[in-house]
Amino acid sequence: MISDRLKKIICDELYLDPETIEINDETQAPEVPGWDSLNHANIIVAIEKDFGVRFKGLEVLKCNNVGALQRLIDSKVSL
Amino acid sequence: MIDFSALQGDTLWERWQYFAQTMPEKEAIIHWRAADEPFRWTYASLLETANKFSHYLKNIGVKKGDVCAIIIRHNPNFYPLYLGIVGMGALPSVLAYPNPRLHPEKFRQGLTGMAERSGLDWIFTETALEEIILPFVEDKNTTVNELFFPLEWNLNKELNSDSIQELSEIRAAIKSDEPMLLQHSSGTTGIQKPVVLSHAAILNHVKNYGKSIQISNSDKVVSWLPLYHDMGLIAAFHVPLACGVTSIQIDPFEWVLAPILMFIAASEEKATLGWLPNFAYNLMADKLSDEEMEDLSLESFRMMINCSEPVRTESHKKFLDRFSEFGFKETALAAMYAMAETTLTVTQTEPNNRANEVAVDREQLSNGKVVITDDESKLRICVSSGKLIDECQINIVDNNRTVLANNSVGEISVKSISMFSGYRNYPEKTAEVLDENGWYYTGDIGFVYNNELYVIGRKKDIIIVAGNNIYPEDIEDVVSKVENVIPGRVIAFGEDDIELGTEQVSVVAETSLVSEDDLSKLRVSILRAGMSINVNIHQVYLVPPRWLIKSSSGKPSRKTNRNRILTKNDEQVWSKK
Repeated sequence: MISDRLKKIICDELYLDPETIEINDETQAPEVPGWDSLNHANIIVAIEKDFGVRFKGLEVLKCNNVGALQRLIDSKVSL
Repeated sequence: MIDFSALQGDTLWERWQYFAQTMPEKEAIIHWRAADEPFRWTYASLLETANKFSHYLKNIGVKKGDVCAIIIRHNPNFYPLYLGIVGMGALPSVLAYPNPRLHPEKFRQGLTGMAERSGLDWIFTETALEEIILPFVEDKNTTVNELFFPLEWNLNKELNSDSIQELSEIRAAIKSDEPMLLQHSSGTTGIQKPVVLSHAAILNHVKNYGKSIQISNSDKVVSWLPLYHDMGLIAAFHVPLACGVTSIQIDPFEWVLAPILMFIAASEEKATLGWLPNFAYNLMADKLSDEEMEDLSLESFRMMINCSEPVRTESHKKFLDRFSEFGFKETALAAMYAMAETTLTVTQTEPNNRANEVAVDREQLSNGKVVITDDESKLRICVSSGKLIDECQINIVDNNRTVLANNSVGEISVKSISMFSGYRNYPEKTAEVLDENGWYYTGDIGFVYNNELYVIGRKKDIIIVAGNNIYPEDIEDVVSKVENVIPGRVIAFGEDDIELGTEQVSVVAETSLVSEDDLSKLRVSILRAGMSINVNIHQVYLVPPRWLIKSSSGKPSRKTNRNRILTKNDEQVWSKK
């Protein structure tokens, strides 16, 4: 399940209200208002900064939804 | 450099066949895949499979002159299908694969808009899109004969000699001045301008453009550009394929998620040529980490060509500063000016030279004069798009289309041997932009200095986001329909994003809502409306009723209201950033 922390980072980056936006494990980037290819890189950087982790482009490419992104973060944080 | 006079073939099919016969084992296309080994087409294997596709197409009823829409995401069989269509004398037309955010109804509206003028005869797509596209094909008013799924076709069976003979006869009847492909200009729902290009236009362009970049047999192109875009289709696909040069094709959807893919492919395959819209210079320089770049070399690049949106000096500098330590050469920073209507290129930076820059007086520039200055407080650095390619001319003209004196700023008009013959089934639009002497009026604003073209803006209200042209009318139309937006009281415009090196879409909409909570919700509804036509609205400004100033036509003026938004600190304007 995705954490409130991850949801908040995504919402902050896109100026969305976390209370009114539905983001769950199955959510894909194009379903979230404002999450397009140009903003994608900014969201990834914001996540990296907040969690103190680094992603490789190819790792992110394998994440087909927000749940997969959460699992990638978890795998980095637990190292 | 390639000796173009020695190359055979008056049509694209003949040219490809010539390479399949003279250098069958040379790699034509390396189909790159992020999580798998690349698929490698040689000229011989590509043509062999293209023949099988032609045979199939013939059997289902595709005829010479038919327009065949292809809506297929990055797939190795895309290329032989495309070639197979050309080999039938039919016209391939590559359409964008729908982004998941695009509403199916809006996607179908886009198809309807295209079909109206282009007269789409057939659609070739993937089974995954059947549900979305079928209602369009079944509509009683459609021009489309049928929908097919060519990736499901069995291509294992060899063609017999009768089939090969039939195809040879079809190819012999294709003439160089006949239409070869159909491209669509941008526009999300309604405003589509179909450009038809002949074999001769493309082969002439391949020759003139190839010479300008001194293309040689040792070159290798790397590209993630979508093939529905003229830069991807002509520069990175047709030019190499008609020169006997290898191209590496990357999935654009994968590239936006992992921009490093372009450099991995380039480094492994030693690519020499690439084309990028300006935003990609910023994106790659800002986002690719040292860790990702480790062990990669960009030494092989001899030209990285900036095109499709205004070329920015900061972006070139940023890219060079970031990647010179990985072997990227300053002299590889190039630019070109191009458009679908002239097949592609008008001007191009000469090889082995960094794109020139001039410092001009900003105020004089807005008064239409080019005055070189070194006064830091008023200079604007303009990046050159290079020199004219052969058999192409330009003029700088005023609003009456009178040619202006040297060092004047005006609209760029172009005449080229590779000019389109007009928008298909759109005579009124053609008449607006193409005069009786064959000059095409681009709507772009620029000047010529020391025989090089500098493009500095445009007359039209088009918004260019990351190389894609977006018409404000399309956005205004959907936002007007959002609940609590006052219908017709909306403008959309492009706002410069210096950090990203491109424009972003901004919307101003009138509403009677006042509370912070209501305005926040309305903003999200407007963002979603943009998503439904695959446009990302970056900034939403909400204003009270009657805030927008009308132009003489009675509609809200984009220019006046844009300036008000960007220059005034108006307390009545609500926004999130």
